Amino acid sequence: MLASPHLSRSVSRRGLFGSLIGRPSAGYAAAAAALASLASTSEAEPVTNSVEADPNALLNKLIRRTTFGITQADQARAVQLGYAAYLEEQLNYLSIDDSAMDSRLASYTTLNMTVQQLLALAANQVTNELIEALILRATFSKRQLFERMVEFWTDHFSIDINVQLCRYLKTVDERTVIRPNALGSFPAMLHASAQSSAMLLYLDNNTNIAASPNENYARELMELHTLSVTGPYTQNDVREVARCFTGWTFGAPGSGANAGVFFFNSGTHDNGQKTVLGNTIPAGGGMQDGITVLNILAAHPATANFIATKMCRKFLGENVSQSVINSVAAVYTSTNGDIKSMVREVLKPNNLATDYGPRHKRPFHHFVSAIRGTGSTVTATSVMRTQLNAAGNLPYNWGPPDGYPDTLAYWNGLILPRWNWGASMATNAITGISFPVETFFAGMTTSAQMLDKINAAMFGGEMPAAERTRLQQYLNTNVGNATTRRETVGLAIGAPSFQWY
Amino acid sequence: MAGHQHNFDPHACAEFNHLSRRQFMQTSASAGIGLTALAASAPAWLPRVSLASSHRSGMRDVMISLYLRGGIDGMSALVPYGDQYYYSARPTINVPSPTSGAAQRAIDLNGFFGIHPGMANLMPAYNNGHLLFLHATGSTDTSRSHFDAQRSMETARTGDPNAGTGWLGRHLASITPMDPNALLRGVGIATGLQKTLAGAPLTLPIPNLDNFGITGSAGTVIARSAVLDDLYEGTTDPLKTVAFNTLQTIDLLNTINFSGYAPGGGAVYPTTSLGVALKSSAALVKANVGVEAIAIDVTGWDTHNAQGVLTGTFNTIISDLANSMAAFYTDMLSNANNPTFAMVAASEFGRQLNENGSAGTDHGYANMMMVLGNCINGGQVIANWPGLGPGQLFQNRDLNVTIDYRSVLAPIIQNRLGNANLSTVFPNFTPQALNVLRC
Repeated sequence: MLASPHLSRSVSRRGLFGSLIGRPSAGYAAAAAALASLASTSEAEPVTNSVEADPNALLNKLIRRTTFGITQADQARAVQLGYAAYLEEQLNYLSIDDSAMDSRLASYTTLNMTVQQLLALAANQVTNELIEALILRATFSKRQLFERMVEFWTDHFSIDINVQLCRYLKTVDERTVIRPNALGSFPAMLHASAQSSAMLLYLDNNTNIAASPNENYARELMELHTLSVTGPYTQNDVREVARCFTGWTFGAPGSGANAGVFFFNSGTHDNGQKTVLGNTIPAGGGMQDGITVLNILAAHPATANFIATKMCRKFLGENVSQSVINSVAAVYTSTNGDIKSMVREVLKPNNLATDYGPRHKRPFHHFVSAIRGTGSTVTATSVMRTQLNAAGNLPYNWGPPDGYPDTLAYWNGLILPRWNWGASMATNAITGISFPVETFFAGMTTSAQMLDKINAAMFGGEMPAAERTRLQQYLNTNVGNATTRRETVGLAIGAPSFQWY
Repeated sequence: MAGHQHNFDPHACAEFNHLSRRQFMQTSASAGIGLTALAASAPAWLPRVSLASSHRSGMRDVMISLYLRGGIDGMSALVPYGDQYYYSARPTINVPSPTSGAAQRAIDLNGFFGIHPGMANLMPAYNNGHLLFLHATGSTDTSRSHFDAQRSMETARTGDPNAGTGWLGRHLASITPMDPNALLRGVGIATGLQKTLAGAPLTLPIPNLDNFGITGSAGTVIARSAVLDDLYEGTTDPLKTVAFNTLQTIDLLNTINFSGYAPGGGAVYPTTSLGVALKSSAALVKANVGVEAIAIDVTGWDTHNAQGVLTGTFNTIISDLANSMAAFYTDMLSNANNPTFAMVAASEFGRQLNENGSAGTDHGYANMMMVLGNCINGGQVIANWPGLGPGQLFQNRDLNVTIDYRSVLAPIIQNRLGNANLSTVFPNFTPQALNVLRC
């Protein structure tokens, strides 16, 4: 962040505001009137107010809700296919050719390494590739809905890579738990997570032994992964589930090919009888105890309701109705937790057409959507990662096991990093990110043309008129100047309507 | 204008804020010449804008809320060495008794409780009567869930999962500002505002007070700020209010030289994130710009595994906490003209009495609290100790709560923060009388 302008800026800004207040220009007055008009008509969702009436608006909303930021390419594809077919294409993500993405990630060799191979490397190489690959996939993968689901499950089964060996093990968790199941089976993902060394370490189950159980994984398994905190479990259930998972651990570093690899240690397992949520788990079950617990939890109605609630809130809005949640939970139950079927239910046109409150981009989403909307290129992400960290949203860096918050109430207060992302990124001040302003505005000479382009490329054509007017006014101060054009795009990234999706 | 702040809806203030910000800009401009003279004689870190101490009304403390997230093991911090069951339940995770002769042992406070040796730098504050310890405190939330227990304690609306405001937020919303011209009344040193402060007017999350400005060309930053100002005037809350608060806070914080701030009394802050946060907080409070509350998160307490009470993780973070608090104390009391403060350190729950098999401790119930400040009735431990023996534990496993945390905060809110509306801050609660204050 630049510190230099502080003194001089504060002096000259006073002059500016003084003159604005004393002698408002015609342009300023017009903009103010337009903004006031917008304020009086705009309801909860600033981006669109007439989703129900306009099928193209609904299509736009589908794109906004299922991507990391709308692009003209997304729009063209959605218009070509129509709502249902576009959604099906995104749900059947393996059918989408993403070979360019795969090629691009080919050099990220750590993504496919075993723990033994990873442990031979510097931890920051491993975590840098892990985070950078996630950024690149979110930005450039054509499988956008799949990447949104990866984000969803990364939060749901959150692991902080700052915890000891998690900086190595999370790469394997991402590869074997999250990505194979993100649009697959929830029970399969739950079972995979329970055997993920990263999760076992993060929640201390690797030291959960019969002689003296460690309750951490057992509690969070029920509170955060399945039943939810309002679920029907007691402290006694926590203790019993912990007993069931005694001995679920992984090979220590230094154990060769077994390093970081899950194994069941029968010698530290509690072989007595347990009772979990009223179910008797007979003595001598060994590893089956834990598997039985996972099956009980995956089949529980409280789990169906919890997963459905989180999914509905993510895609439809924080105020989603319980009846919609119930319908998605019913799909969970009838399909044994098939995620694709649940997402399809969530994104039914009637659900999406209903206003359940606006969705506010988290900083990661906002940053990525700016890159996508401006057609910028990414060759390095270290500075971007620093900025994400400053904004409080660097992937895999949320300390507690509940994952990054997904609420407007949490994120709305810190707006400055969003403004600064626009100001810096659009002026190529973020090393490794390049906004091709000449290409973006190719063949354009007037500010009206350029605002049309900004609106079409970044806002799906839905930019509020007042925002457009004010940005055009800024661009008009020096429309022929490339820096002014860049700054205008930067302000568009910071604009109110770009904060929502 | 002051009456406006009686409004309980923090989102209703946008128009006021906007006007206020523009007036501030004009005031700043007109005051500019006189300030040059002031700056010549005042310390460099003082505000260069005339928001002088004369604006500050009454004798309110500034509230510094430290939230120890993750559930601090209060029995390793404020050690009940006089309870025989403490050592039998914690054969490997304990702080030896003050009389044990161990190299690392508790520092005695009152013949029953002692503090962790890493907290030695807090003894001057304790001996001066400014630092109060309490034990077996907590909330009525028995979930042992971090998130439920934090929400319950921060919102102080137990049983209401949808409570949108925090106790400190409601406090700020229900009193007239300490400084009627304040542009910023509350700060969360965080990237997302803590629930404790939710609902507070003129309050923002600011992760780093010393780095809060708009990037890009210095030559256009004013014009670009004006664009943002106008754009957000046309949108809805909460972003509308947040944007205006942010713009005026940028101007405000730019008047304070945080990086050049020189603590008083020879105080040395740790270079940890907590030390930096408290050092910046001291600079902000001493600048007398009307900030009334600061919330800071202290993390790392969820020690299920390899707790490291004397030589590991816990020792590191409890020492950092104590050294940071001690530096703040020294700094703030170094000059009688400094603003007064009340600092409260609390956590969502304590940890289970018995250690687990991982050389750690699982989630429990009651915990210790620390309260530090000019008028705190320190130099004592307040506890209605329920005991750690058979039949004395909550659900046969945890230290039981005998003092509601709200009873600790209530007299501070009423008498040191000047708020007569305790029922707004803590609905449906009658505090137990405790000797928390001495003035």
